[in-house]
Amino acid sequence: MSDESALLREPWFDFGRQREAGKFGIWVFLASETLFFGALMLTYTVCRIEHPEAFAAAGRETNIWYGTINTAVLLTSSLTMAVAAQASEQSARLRRLVLSCLLLTAMLGLAFIAIKGFEYKEDIDKHLVPGAEFALPQRGAELFYGFYWLVTGVHAIHLSIGIALVSRLFWVLLRRELPAKDNPEIEVTALYWHLVDIVWIFLYPLIYLPGRAS
Amino acid sequence: MSDREEAGGDARSSDGVRRLWARNLLIWAALLVLLLLSLVAAYIPMGRVTTASGIVVAAAKSTLVVLLFMELASAKPQIRIAAISGLVFLVAMFALTFVDVLARP
Repeated sequence: MSDESALLREPWFDFGRQREAGKFGIWVFLASETLFFGALMLTYTVCRIEHPEAFAAAGRETNIWYGTINTAVLLTSSLTMAVAAQASEQSARLRRLVLSCLLLTAMLGLAFIAIKGFEYKEDIDKHLVPGAEFALPQRGAELFYGFYWLVTGVHAIHLSIGIALVSRLFWVLLRRELPAKDNPEIEVTALYWHLVDIVWIFLYPLIYLPGRAS
Repeated sequence: MSDREEAGGDARSSDGVRRLWARNLLIWAALLVLLLLSLVAAYIPMGRVTTASGIVVAAAKSTLVVLLFMELASAKPQIRIAAISGLVFLVAMFALTFVDVLARP
């Protein structure tokens, strides 16, 4: 199996074991990421219990359209990433499908960052950055926006790392430096990408949906 | 590889591609429907139920992503243990915090 020997890395002697270990390793890392973002969301929850009206007022100020469109963009990027990963496992004939789905995934990730940039611009113009010029009078609204800037910023960093990983994979596979069939790097990158999507799935109701009904 | 084998392989792989897209597009469509559902529910005044609906839908969406896109549903036991360990500690962190915050006078 020339494909497998091209993909085999130190210290493994067996490709099957290498894949298992890689997959196990990324899941352990994702569990730690869950706790990292979970701690931030717990802080948000405690602050929201203390200041329910302020959080509703602050949530109303976010742009629901940017938030919803970006959620759809990220969900679609998970679709293309999943297709890329499954196609790489299915057949060596699907190399072109893997490549085009990886490219689409990276482009959807970039689209998310671009839309987020427009949203940040609007937030800054509306004085929604905590500090002396902050727009909302409610006590606790600044806590909401403290969380907003921190967690969307950290999420954007995670997504940027994902875009870099996917783009690198695309480049390496395009130049045929590594085979696409059964490449564990695709599998592991896909798992990371999906977690970044899941974090956003939870951020969407926390950031964009409070205070819409009142 | 003879022409006939080549053609057979192409037919198999195009059939496989169709199944691949059908499966994943279905999951994607379900995710988008859930997204719209949480958007609409957020505008219906139901008090705490409105807040809860957003979280419940987010949980449903991430369950779909974890089980089907990340293929945890068909993963080996050691992978499932690694995935669930994160969830267990997350629940512990939330539970211990709420025991304090929600019981304050």
